[in-house]
Amino acid sequence: MLKVKNLSLNFGGVKALQNVSFEVREQEVLGLVGPNGAGKTTSFNVFSGNVRPTSGEVTYDGHDILKSSMHKRVKFGIGRTFQIPQPMHELTVRENLMVSQRFGRPDKKVDQQRISEILDSVNLLHKSESDAATELALTERKALEVAKALATEPSLLMLDEVLAGLETTGKKLFMETLKKIRKQFNLSMIVIEHDIETISNLCDRIVVLNFGKVIAEGTPDETFRNPEVIRSYTGEENA
Amino acid sequence: MSNFRIFAPLAIVMYIIVPFLFSGNDYLMGMIATALIIAGIALAWALLGNLGGMVSFGHAAFFGVGAYTSAVLTMDYNVPVFLAMIIAGFGASLASVFMMPALRLHGPYFALAILAYAHIFMILATEMTSITGGAAGLLSIPNLPVFMGFDFGTKLGGYIVILNIVSLALVVYHLIRRSTYGLALKAMHDSELATRIVGVPATQLKAIMLVVSAFITGCVGAFNAHFINFLDPEYAFSGEWTVIPIVAAIFGGYRTLSGPVLGALFIYLADQLVFKSLLPQGHQLILGALLGGMILLSPSGLLPIITNMFKRFSKKGDAQHVES
Repeated sequence: MLKVKNLSLNFGGVKALQNVSFEVREQEVLGLVGPNGAGKTTSFNVFSGNVRPTSGEVTYDGHDILKSSMHKRVKFGIGRTFQIPQPMHELTVRENLMVSQRFGRPDKKVDQQRISEILDSVNLLHKSESDAATELALTERKALEVAKALATEPSLLMLDEVLAGLETTGKKLFMETLKKIRKQFNLSMIVIEHDIETISNLCDRIVVLNFGKVIAEGTPDETFRNPEVIRSYTGEENA
Repeated sequence: MSNFRIFAPLAIVMYIIVPFLFSGNDYLMGMIATALIIAGIALAWALLGNLGGMVSFGHAAFFGVGAYTSAVLTMDYNVPVFLAMIIAGFGASLASVFMMPALRLHGPYFALAILAYAHIFMILATEMTSITGGAAGLLSIPNLPVFMGFDFGTKLGGYIVILNIVSLALVVYHLIRRSTYGLALKAMHDSELATRIVGVPATQLKAIMLVVSAFITGCVGAFNAHFINFLDPEYAFSGEWTVIPIVAAIFGGYRTLSGPVLGALFIYLADQLVFKSLLPQGHQLILGALLGGMILLSPSGLLPIITNMFKRFSKKGDAQHVES
């Protein structure tokens, strides 16, 4: 599906990404982890078209997506969420999804039935008609962020710290929702998350970044036992 | 409050009551027509600002290009006036195409770039003497014609023409606003990234809005050329054609559909008919204070105040109805 090859990105003298290579397989959930500043969100920004890389290749189902603008990448089937939810202000919850469908789906159709299904899957159906997106609570905003991406009918969903800021129960419930939508919508996912328990529970495979480089890759068990990964999280002396 | 409940009384007042009461008073009809000219530009400006979040300081350019296009077509090529006014709209839209590179800019940078473009158009109009008459301008621009037996060249006729232009612009604005394109554009006002990430081609949509806004302003400019029968670059591209409509739109409520029209009617007529007689020198001071007060007390403008009053009034009425 998504293949990343030798991806590098410099911000002036800062090497945000250095020869990063990995792939996401069909219907796989891949965890992208690492300490703050490792290059996780920067990778998402490159995949979704927010920033251009300095060098490297990113293909999705054989398409060189780096040549396409942000809005065209959505039509390839790549959806994403932001760590700080980005609702469309002033629009209701349902209108947020109508716009997402109209412009994100390849057939450009607004399907109210489908919108209801999506809202139901993220437990937002009761909020759909009257509530402005900005009036939602944090969990609901996060759910809307996921729903907006789902409305574009993605085959790959990139979730950027979608559980961050939620309390323990909310986190567990949201994780169950993510598991449910993965099956319901036949999705592949890339998940950025700091919480190791969540990552282990949700992901099939993990890629660990540190200082813009891939330092480990494998199953959650393998990866979190890797000494270099432990060093990157806890410091040299604890390894 | 539904659009119909605002538009129906407004349409009755503008199409029936105003002509019925004031058709014999050329001074007043001319004044109201000029207020509608400002309303047309204010509406076009608000369309760009509300749907897409672009603040333009360059609408004088579209107004001037529309005015000159129609004047030159009717004077040099004998194109019928109404047809020339429509072509003038396309001329202004064409002018807006040259401004497209500015769409990549945001906020004050976009506003300043558009202002610079407007100045370029004014310089072009001054320098292209063989077409525009240069700084001396164009005199004896043909009047609005007699059409189906009605003389649109009178103040009443002019009023009806500009009222129809503004009404059509309102309909177009309404249709855009209620479509999914309108929803996306409305969302882009505060959250452009949120729209781009779900596939909205934000720059293309903004470009379309710029073209539509320029078209409306161009038609209004063309109307004005045939209404006053004179043009020079200083007048046609004057910053007043940008500033007063912005003031009117903000005063009326630029994020509402009919707010810019109400704002223009109120601002221009109050200024000319009331403030000017109270303070012949510096009457704009009252206008400035009024705008300042409105922004402080009701940043959303005049229309939300009126709609809230209607809501309160109808609630009171309902309550009394229940009690009785």
